[in-house]
Formats: sequence, structure tokens, C-alpha cells
Amino acid sequence: MSPTLRRIGRRALAAVPILWLVVTLTFIVVHAVPGSVADLLDNPDLSPAARETVRHRYGLDQPLPQQYMRWLEGAITGDFGISFLYRQPVRRLIARTLPPTLILTGTALLLDLLLGIALAVLAAARPRGWIDRVTTVLSLGVYGMPTFWLAGLAILLFSVQLGWLPSSHMHSLDAATLPAARRLLDLLRHLILPAGILGLAGAASTARYVRAALLDIRQSRFLLAARARGIPRRRILWIHALRPALLPLVTLLGLSLPFLVSGSLVIEVIFSWPGMGRLLWTAAWARDIPVILAATLLGAGAVIAGNLLADILYVAVDPRARRSS
Amino acid sequence: MMHRTLRRLLLVPVLLALAACGRAPAPEVQPTPAAVQTPAGPHRGGTVVIGALADIDNWNPYLTGSSFGDDVLSLLYPTLAVEQPDYRAHPPSFTPGLATSWEFSPDRLSLTFHLRPEARWSDGVPVTAEDVVFSWKVQVSPELGWPSAEIKENITSVEALDTHTARFHFRHSYPYQLMDVNDGPIVPAHAWKSIPFATWENVDWTRHSLSAGPFRFAAHEPQQQITLERNPTYWRDGFPRLDRVVWRVLPDQSNLLVQLKTGAIDLMEAVPPREAEHVRVHPRLRLIVFPDRSYGYVGWNNRDPLFRDPNVRRALTLAIDRNAILDSVLRGYGRIAVGPVLSTMWAFDRELRPLPYDPQAARDLLAKAGWKDHDGDGLLDRRGKAFRFELMTNAGNDVREDICLLIKDQLQRVGIDAEPRFVEWGAMNSRLRRGRFQAFVSAWREGTQVDLTPVWHSAPPGQPTFNFVGYHNPKVDRLLDEADSKETIEDQKPYFLEIQRIITSDQPYTFLYEGERLDGLNRRVQGAVINDASPYFNLEEWWVTEARQ
Repeated sequence: MSPTLRRIGRRALAAVPILWLVVTLTFIVVHAVPGSVADLLDNPDLSPAARETVRHRYGLDQPLPQQYMRWLEGAITGDFGISFLYRQPVRRLIARTLPPTLILTGTALLLDLLLGIALAVLAAARPRGWIDRVTTVLSLGVYGMPTFWLAGLAILLFSVQLGWLPSSHMHSLDAATLPAARRLLDLLRHLILPAGILGLAGAASTARYVRAALLDIRQSRFLLAARARGIPRRRILWIHALRPALLPLVTLLGLSLPFLVSGSLVIEVIFSWPGMGRLLWTAAWARDIPVILAATLLGAGAVIAGNLLADILYVAVDPRARRSS
Repeated sequence: MMHRTLRRLLLVPVLLALAACGRAPAPEVQPTPAAVQTPAGPHRGGTVVIGALADIDNWNPYLTGSSFGDDVLSLLYPTLAVEQPDYRAHPPSFTPGLATSWEFSPDRLSLTFHLRPEARWSDGVPVTAEDVVFSWKVQVSPELGWPSAEIKENITSVEALDTHTARFHFRHSYPYQLMDVNDGPIVPAHAWKSIPFATWENVDWTRHSLSAGPFRFAAHEPQQQITLERNPTYWRDGFPRLDRVVWRVLPDQSNLLVQLKTGAIDLMEAVPPREAEHVRVHPRLRLIVFPDRSYGYVGWNNRDPLFRDPNVRRALTLAIDRNAILDSVLRGYGRIAVGPVLSTMWAFDRELRPLPYDPQAARDLLAKAGWKDHDGDGLLDRRGKAFRFELMTNAGNDVREDICLLIKDQLQRVGIDAEPRFVEWGAMNSRLRRGRFQAFVSAWREGTQVDLTPVWHSAPPGQPTFNFVGYHNPKVDRLLDEADSKETIEDQKPYFLEIQRIITSDQPYTFLYEGERLDGLNRRVQGAVINDASPYFNLEEWWVTEARQ
């Protein structure tokens, strides 16, 4: 086994206790916050028998350690129990919520990277030139604007005033009757505003990071050598400087994995996107503990996997990291 | 959890105040029920799109825990009779539903229903007395734990006399027998009885969906869209008029309003009062206003030494300008609440008047109770302690938060310091149930059955109760018990009148306002009767004047 693989294996193993710690802490916290489903069962309109049935069904009549063991056992086997709120298996809820989230956040991340890097390169080509100044002002402006505000403006402009884009949902009213290609087109039209706003907000910060890294690297000797060899400026910027400048981005990319699976609550609510953010939000309000725990487990898993991914990518793009490992 | 006819008292923690209410001089304000008429005649066809803040939680009417789920599923799984929103002069009456008629035995210990012979499920199988018996078994199944099962505790058995006749037997006779029997929809025995109750939560009910109502299940995209289509086996000829009803799920209220204005949705329920004017003047929209059986109040913790004296509580009410709250927070949509029974109910004591807004009278009453500004700091004090307390409400409810701020300002004028505190609703709920609060602003939604016991009867510690404020008046307890034992509603009424008089005099709450619901409806939708029984009360009769763009 190569040292790199060994290192990754070690990291993956180390992730198990962290994952356990996160879900255990979440279990303690959700049971410690005031207000629980058991509270809601304290309802004089419920007969004592009905109360007991419900308590028993969700295991609320068992002592907390036993509830914890039962949950842990279920989590290992992939059975997260039945949602208090929807009275359906949690697994089914997550299975239908995760894909829309991935579509939204995946598109947003792609847009974030492409737009962010392009803007950074344009800005770094002539530091303090007019492009640099304009992108700096714009990206700081977007970065400073809350997404709900940006979303409201976009709806007002593109949906209400111009009528170009739909202001909510993944599909139009009658999309189910459309042929596959038109249905995909319909989805893309609905994706533009929510993914665009998420991507734009991300691109604003990506552009700042990459621009800073590019400006740092501009002073490097290897770029001076490239220039001395007569390599065209554009090629130096896009090929020779950009690759090392993307190193910090690799870490950021790994860390954005949790965002990919947990979704964006604000955007999902405003645009009625049926994603994980909304599922978790509703669950938190309703003290739907099985859903809260499952979503947390998924989020924690994504954080750990993201870190691991960042490590692997780092080794892949940076030869120095390969040597040192 | 809520059930179909909302007979019992419901705690409405978050959204209720959004659906607040109407004294506004709005020309479009209609009495309940609100019928919308146009010159052109009704016709068949078309789709109506309704905006919904939340999705349906479950497609089984006995597993759904939301009133929205109840409302949608009532279009698929009807009840034997239909409760009418005519409870102003008398308890609600019933019109035929799946049953064409019913009669009590002379001793009122059994009630026989005659089912509509032409009623069929959407798979063509007739609706029979077997379905009625099965539905009752579902309701009382301990394995299923239907939250409203207690309603059925006086029904001893249900039998199918023949295919279309079902009989209910009772332990004893009491005023709400018909109401209790009718609570809970009829579900298909032939399709569902082979599924063990213990596995119902694992079942995907969209696959087992049938309908004996005007519409049937067509499609459900979770958190996106619900589509019902005309049920061709529906017994009423020529109905429903609409081909389809679609609910578009959109959790953002502002965007919902945008879509109502642009015509993307036809109906928005519970328009916030601050937006009512925009809907009212919009050329394409109609604002429908109706009382929604809710009232807002300040609950004083009657166990707290500050609020133990009824005179102090009366003074607090006198010092709170409820008209100002109605005008500024609810934009005039609502009425001042008087007491524990809504002024729109048959049991309301019409002799009662709300306490006036009279800060001077409040100061005098407080002085008599020993509260004076002895140290000249602008705050009343007694035995060296200032009149200061925490006024709690659930965070995120704009209406209630604004009410708290107004009350703080008003009480300050008589020398009382109320400190508003906005608490996450689960945490607030927990504090209320444990009595760990001083005062709070909240609202109740009342059922059509007058049932004052859960909120006003004293409860021994540890027993579930909605009497969060710890109100305890032995006379009220006795009157409530006596009212409960009466066999007819007429016999109960004098007790309700006396209880109201005592409670209004004791002021365990400051009754603030009675709510009104504001719905925005596109003018292309005709024939809609929207009332507090259900927004879809006569959905089968709705029709549209023009196709959707």
C-alpha cells in the first residue's frame, strides 16, 4: 500500500470516533433543549391511552440511554426511525430531499468556481486597473449583501418586472406532462435564480481569495523565469500562475462538501426548493428528533468527508505534499 | 395534533397571529359564508392553483397531524355528515354527506345512518356500512393512537345493519353525540383493512389513495406541488366543476404574495394584515375576510404574587388600550375580545361588555391594592419592590412581538415596567407547561363545540392542562363539572353564561382581540364559499371564468 493510501485510510478511521462524538453530542443537545415532543403530548385532549401509545411507538417511554442505544443501532444499519412530524420513515424523507439539494448546491458551486476564478484572473492581470477596481467593489458589495435581500431583488427584477424567470419551485405547474428534454429545460430555467444567487455570493469570496493568491505568486521567481523565456503574458497568468494559486481553493472546495448536502435554508425557503435545508429547519421547529439527528449525522459525515477530500486533492495537485507524505 | 372539525381547543403557536383579523371599512368584506358571484353562469373545466406555506405531511387522514392535511384529505375522504358554520345562533347543524339521513333511537343511546347508495370509491367499489365500521376501528385502535380517539370514548360499538345502514351505540346520551360520531373521515375498508395498523407509518399512502369525495389523488411532488383531479365516480352529478386543483408549496410568505399578485396562484390563505390593503385594492384580486374563531390574550400567571389579586389583573386590562392594538398591529381586522367565549358563538353572553381603556381607573385600582410610586422613580412599588415583570411571546411572530411592545409602552404610562421577551416557541411551550413565566401573549383557536374545561378548570399538578395561568376558582370548577353532566345543549347554556361572567370579572387573562382571517382570491375564481369550517368548504362548486395564462 502506498504511503498516501495508508495516510488516507488512517484519516478515515480517525473519522469514526469524531462522527460518533458529533451525533452523541447532538443527541444530548436535542434532548436538553426545552420543549420536546413529549411536551406536546401533554395535551388534555389526548387520552392517557393515546399518549402512552405514542410515547411507546417513538420509544419515549424508555430511559434516555436506551433511546440513545436504539438510535445508534439504527443509525449504523441506516434506519433512522420514523419522523414524528411526517409519520414516515426518515430514510424516505432524506432520499427524496437530497437530490434536489445536490442539484441546487452543485450548480451553485460550479458557478461559484468558474465565475470566481475568471474574475480573479481578470482582476489580477492588471492590479488596480479598472477591471480590478470594478470587480473589487462588486464582489465586496455582493459579499456584504444578505442573500435574502439579493433574492428579493432578483425576484422583483427578473420575475415581476421583466417576467423572464420563474420566482419559485423546481418545475412549472404542468412540467410533468412535458417531454424529457423540455422538462430538463424547465428545470434549468427554475434553477437560474436560486443557483445564480448562491453561486454569485460564493464567487464574490472565491474571487477575493484567488486574486490575493495570484498577486502573491506574481512576485515568484519561477514566473520571472517564465517571462524571461518569452512565454506570453496570458499563458503565464492562466497556466503557470493559476495552478499554484488554486491551492488554497482546494481546501475551500473540500470544506464546501457539507454545504452541498445540507443545502441553503434561506434560498430553499424563498424559492421553494425542496431541499435538506428546509427539511432540517421544519424538523427543528417541530422538535422532530429523528430527522434532526439523521440530518446532523449526514452533515457531520460531509464535514469529515470534505476534510478528507481536501487532503486527497491537495496531495494530487501539490507535488510537495506528495513527497512529504 | 388537530382533527377534521376542529371542535376542540387548539393551541396555535406560530402562524395564527398572521391570520389576524377585521373591523376595517373594506368594501369587499363579506359576511360568513362569503359567496362570490358573477353574471356569467358556472361551467365545468379549468384548474385552480392554491398557494400553501407548507406541504401535506401524510396522505392518510388518520396519520396527518396538520390542519392543512385535514383540509386536503377531506376532499378525498368525506364524513357522514357535513358540519355547517352556523354556530352563531345555535350549535352547528349538519347536512347530509356520505349519509343521506340519520336518526336517534327514542332513548338516544343509538344513532343510525343511512348511506348514499350511489356513493362509490374511485376504484368503483361502493361505499358501504363496512367502511363506517372499519373507520371507527381505525379511530379507536390503540396501535395507531389517533390523537382524537378520546372523542369516541362514549361509543361502545358500531354495527353494519345492512350494506347501507350503520348503527352507533352509546354509553349514555349527551349533547354532542352526532358531532362525536361524525368526527373523522370514512376510509376504504376493502383497500386498507389488509394493512396491519402497526405498519401504517411505513406505508406510502399515495399508492393506496382512493377517494369517495369530489377529487382524487393525481400527483404529489414533496415540498413542491399537490395535484388533485376530478373524481369521475363522485356521486353528485355535474360536480366538481373544476378539472383540477393544484397546491403550490411555497414557504416564503412574501413570495406567495408576489405570486398571488402576478396570477401564478389563485388563492392565498392567511394574508398578513399589513398586506391586506395591497390585496384589497388590486384589480385582479378580492380580499375575503371572515372571523376565524380565534382570540388573542395576555395570560397572567395567577400563581405569581404580582398577579394573584383579581383587582390588579383588572387594572392591567384597564391600562391596556386594546383598540390601539387592533388599529396599529391588526390594521383594524378584528374585534375587542370580551371573555372566554367568542362573540360569534351561540354560547356567548351578549350582555357582557369589555372593560374600557381607562388608565386613571387602573391607577386607582392599583393604589387600592397598595401599588404607588413611593420613591418617585416613575414606577409603582409596594413594600420596596417595583412593579416589574417579564412579558413573554414566541419569537418570530411579528404580530405578537408588536403587541408586547405596545403593551410595554401602555403599561409604562401607569408606572408598570413590562419587559418583553421573545422566546423560541418550543421553549415557550415548555415554560408555559411548567408554570415558569410571569405573563405571556398568545392566542387560542376555539372549536365549534363550547368546551371551557381544558383552559379554565383547575388541574392537579402533573395532569395535562391548557390552564397554563393556574386559574383556580372553585365556583367555576363546579359550574364546569355541572355543565359537563347535562344531557342537552340548552341545559348547558345557563352554566356557560355564568362561567363567562365570573371569568370576565376575574380577568385571569386580558382578552385582547378576536381574530379574523384574510384570504386573497383571484377574481377569475367564482362560486367560492370560504369560511372558517374549511377554506375548501364548497370547492366542488368553484369554477373559473377564464383559463390560466
